[in-house]
Parts: sequence; structure tokens; C-alpha cells
Amino acid sequence: MQSRKEELLERIRTKIRVTCDMPDLLIDSITFPDRVAQFKVMLQAVGGEAIELVQGENMQELICSRFPESKIIASNLPEISFATINPDQVDDPHELAYIDLAIIRGEIGVAENACIWIPQMMKERVVCFIAEYLVVLLERSALVNNMHEAYEQISFHDKEFGVFISGPSKTADIEQALVIGAHGAKGVLVILT
Amino acid sequence: MSTKHTKAADRFIANKAQEVWHNQTLRFVRDKRDNMAMQLPEWETLRETAHQIKMHTITHLDHYLNEFSMHAEANGVLVHWAKDADEHNQIVYSILQSHGVKKLVKSKSMLTEECHLNPFLIEKGIDVVESDLGERILQLMHKAPSHIVMPAIHLKRQDVGRLFETKLNTEKDNSDPTYLTQAARVHLRQEFLTAGAAMTGANFGVASTGDVVVCTNEGNADMGTALSPLHIISMGMEKVIPDLKSLAVFIRLLARSATGQPVTAYTSHYRKPREGSEMHLVIVDNGRSNMLGNEDHLQTLKCIRCGACMNTCPVYRRSGGYSYTYFIPGPIGINLGMSRSPEKYSDNLSACSLCYSCNNVCPVKIDLADQIYKWRQKLDSFGKADPAKKNLSVGMAFLFKRPVLFQTGLKMAPVINRMPRFFVYNGLNDWGKGREMPHFAIHSFAALWKKGKISGANQKKKNAES
Ligand code: SF4
Repeated sequence: MQSRKEELLERIRTKIRVTCDMPDLLIDSITFPDRVAQFKVMLQAVGGEAIELVQGENMQELICSRFPESKIIASNLPEISFATINPDQVDDPHELAYIDLAIIRGEIGVAENACIWIPQMMKERVVCFIAEYLVVLLERSALVNNMHEAYEQISFHDKEFGVFISGPSKTADIEQALVIGAHGAKGVLVILT
Repeated sequence: MSTKHTKAADRFIANKAQEVWHNQTLRFVRDKRDNMAMQLPEWETLRETAHQIKMHTITHLDHYLNEFSMHAEANGVLVHWAKDADEHNQIVYSILQSHGVKKLVKSKSMLTEECHLNPFLIEKGIDVVESDLGERILQLMHKAPSHIVMPAIHLKRQDVGRLFETKLNTEKDNSDPTYLTQAARVHLRQEFLTAGAAMTGANFGVASTGDVVVCTNEGNADMGTALSPLHIISMGMEKVIPDLKSLAVFIRLLARSATGQPVTAYTSHYRKPREGSEMHLVIVDNGRSNMLGNEDHLQTLKCIRCGACMNTCPVYRRSGGYSYTYFIPGPIGINLGMSRSPEKYSDNLSACSLCYSCNNVCPVKIDLADQIYKWRQKLDSFGKADPAKKNLSVGMAFLFKRPVLFQTGLKMAPVINRMPRFFVYNGLNDWGKGREMPHFAIHSFAALWKKGKISGANQKKKNAES
């Protein structure tokens, strides 16, 4: 017997009248003379903040000074020694329910819209969404101009999941009034290294 | 002749303050979209490319769906195919049942709305929780969305405040949006933590990788799917696109067109089931393959559900989403409804002034107004044509196709300004009924342009001379 899949694909075949060609995807797209500056402006516009780590500055001290109230801190990054919970070492994602701060690493930053590409580099990815505040470490050299350049670089074949995050979680569902902190992080700090 | 739409619109505009607010709010979203578009020199190239990618994909849909589903299966995703809404609902229910799920958290999905999934599951005893804030508000009110991107756009903060007082125990008379959003965050956090399954729609399905891409601002899709042991995705078959390079084009257009943001806060790519969990994908036809066979209306299948055509539509803005009889309002809803059932949904055809603004903002360049015009010509065959308007429509199309006549017509239009109101609003002129006639400019735009009175034209001339 024909499967439902075969039946539907066959149905589609009988319906198609015309066929159109795939266009050329080489689009001459916007670039920025100073990607770091553009990224910072865009991140601010979407409710986040980017700061540059200056040489000799201690990353952990910097994070602590920005989030003095955070008690439960989740991270699996080797350079973050003050984390209190490791998303790789929990049995169940629900154990991460009440974290104050999560520190993760981003792979690519996009100047045009402040997106940061975060492939799943931890066992429980909920850490990226459930923390009250999120810190993302990103190398300055990983900044590209636009989404075309970003997708050129993306490959995550062995990963379950990847996400572009641009600033904190937000909603304008009540009377179009912008409110930061809908379900995900209430604040996103990007540290450019 | 009044249609169900005009009658409902009458009720909407009876509340003048609401009409004005609704109109201005959506106009503001349209302005934000324009602002975003103007910042990208390649904007029009992006739209044209998006249109071409979609035309290519939907006219090779069998190929891309096959590729997409094979990759998804290779990634460990369990793929199901549903020919219609009933089959879709049955599949979803049987997955939930086999996992013993009592509570399902959902992120926004117009397809599940189309299939009436929620009432179906609720009747079977499943606790269905919408997690997008706007959708949750409406669910608690037992109402449907009035816009596809901003579902609760017709409500005032006081409405939400009163609702939350009774449902979420918020303070009396506190309708501050920040306060109410925080209350919803706390309430929904508990739902996320206790759900047995999460359901999402799909903005895009990437054939070359099998990824399902979902865009949200709130992060609700990710909160649900990262916590629960079961993820069900409901996806219309037209959502497939060839590859990640194509995806870049659509992601650049979607949020800019929808809400005037550079991008949504989260653009999530679901590839494989989370360790220890299951991921199911239900690919749904429900009338889509029929649309493929209709050349006049084929282009509706390109839609990426951004809502820009509603925000710009002067009729939608002043009549609200509930004035339409199809669950998707605005220009795209008029056309989708007609494709589903012309007999049932032809009332919505009156909700268009053929201003063509929708065609000009649509990020995938759907010929929305042309399609509405074509449907109107076919109204006769459903016995629903309004003779007076039919003549006017034909006349307008005749003029639009003949620029010289059209321009003469506009030059003469100021004559209308001098006609006594009686002649313009005499009850014989159906377009004047319920509408303030446009005040025609003394000098037509085209005449001023030719005379060089408009700076752009002056500039051009100067450039040509130098
Ligand atoms: S028809 Fe075009 S403008 Fe309207 S919702 Fe679809 S993609 Fe957006």
C-alpha cells in the first residue's frame, strides 16, 4: 500500500503546472566599516549590552561586578570557575529551574542585527533560556556583517540544536508596550574578547 | 450590498476611540517596518530573491519535501504526514496519548489554529496551555487571535488587567504592561516546568539539513522544548525551503517586515531530538496541494506569515481582525479563505479598496490585491456579486491597465472636490458609503512631477543636465 507520504507527494506532482528556477543567492549586502561599533549599537537597540574586555582585565571579576546579586550561576566553560552548577552534569533540565545567571560562549556575532550564533555546546540547552540573566562571551574576530555571512559559516551537524539570540527575551503583546523579560533572560550582556 | 465584513466593521468603528487607536497602532508598526527596510540598500533585491526562492520551492515541492523529510529522519526525528486537519489532530493526540501526556505547552502556531487542535485536545482531557503572552491572554478569555503576529492587538491594557485579576490574582486596577507581563512570566514558568510535552509550529523547514526553524521574541518555544521530554512540530507543507543560504534571505526579511525589528530575539534551529527525548514532525497538507493547482492563486503558498499586509491595510486597520469571517484576517486572510472555500468566505472580498499597499510591503511579493480582484470577477459564479461594485471594479482595472486614461482621470479628479456633498455621498455611490472620499489634490502628482515641482524630479533633471 502507498504510504501517506507517497500519496501526498504524488498529489503534489499531479498539481504542479509551472516550474520556476532557483535564483542566484549572491546578494550584494550591507557591510559595516566598524563591525564592533555596529554590533554594540544594534545590541543596545534590542535591549542588550556589549562591552569589550580590555587587556589585562579579569573576566570573572567583571562578571561578578555586573551581577553582584546572582547566587546560582550556571556554566560549563572552563574559564568560569565561580559557577555553582554545570549544565553538563545535571540529570534533568528541571534542575536548572532557578538559576540567576548563565554564562555561555557564542560562535558568531552578526553586526546587522546583534544576533549571536549559539550551537548547543552543553548537555542541557535550557540554561540559555531559563536564566534570569545571560552573559555571552564572544571573540571580536567572530563578528560578521550580515546573516548571509553568518549562515555561510554555520555547520552544526553533530549538534542537536543551535540558536541565534539577539538581546533579551521581550514582548509587546499588551498594547504594543515593549516589556523586556517575557520568558527568557531579562538581560543579555555580551563580553567581546 | 453589505457583507458580513462590512456589518462587523460597522460594529468595530462604532467605538470611535478604539478604531482610532487600532488604526494608529498598526500604522506605527508599518512605519517601523519602513524604517527597517530603508536601512538596507538591498531590501528590494531581498524581496525579489525571496519571491523567486519561494516560487522555485513550491513548484518543486515534492522534491524538497522528500529531501527535507529524509534529512529529518536521518537526524532521528519521527516524521508524520497528514492530509487534512482531522488527520493532523489524530496524529498529535496519539503521540500525546502514547506518552501519557496530561499537559501540553504550545508556542504560537497558526496551523494548529487552522486545524482547531486546541478544542480537539481539550475535549480529550488534555490540558493545553498557550505560552505566547498574547495567545495566553486570548486563551484565558476564550477568544481567537485578531492578528497573526500580534494576536491581542485589539485589546487595551485594562482588558488584560481585569482578566489577570480574576485568572492570575494580580492586584486590583493594576494594568501596567510590565507588571502584567511579569505576572504572566511567573504563571507560565510553572506551566513550562510541569508540562509533559511541548508543541511548536515551524517558520521554515530547511530541506538540505532537516532543520526546523522557529522565530520568537519571548523565548517560549525554547523554554517548552528544552524542558519537556517530547517535542511535536506542526508544519504546513509549504514551509520548506532549500537550504541555509535561502534561510538567510527569509530571516533578514521576516522580523523587519513583521514588527519592524532587525530580527526576533530567538531564531531557533531544531535539528535532532534532545538527549533522552523524542521529536515528532507532522507535515500537513490540508488544502495546500489544491492551491498548487490554481495558477491564479498559487502565490498565496509563498506566505511567511509576517502580518505586514494587515498592518498596512487601511481596511484591516480600521475594522479589526474580528470583522473577517476567516481565522486569518487582512489581505492574505481574504485570499487564504477564498482558496479554502469561496462559498463560505466570499464576504471578506469586500474588505479591500484595491490600494495595492499590501503588494508593496509583502516580503515575498505575493500579488495579494490582484488575487482579490480576480476573485471578485469570479463572484458571479458563486452568485455573490454586487452589480454596482462589479462595474466599478472593472472600470478601475481598465484604468490601471491604461496609464494615459488613468492620468487624465486623476487630473479631472479635483472636480469632485467642488461637487456638493450630496453628489458624492448620495447613496448611489457605494464607495462613498461609510467612507470619506479622498480629497483630490489640485495638481496631480504626475503633473507636478512632470513640471519638475517635486524635488526628486528636479534633482533628476539636474543630474541629466550636468
Ligand atoms: S502575504 Fe506577505 S505580507 Fe501578508 S503575511 Fe504573508 S508574507 Fe506577510
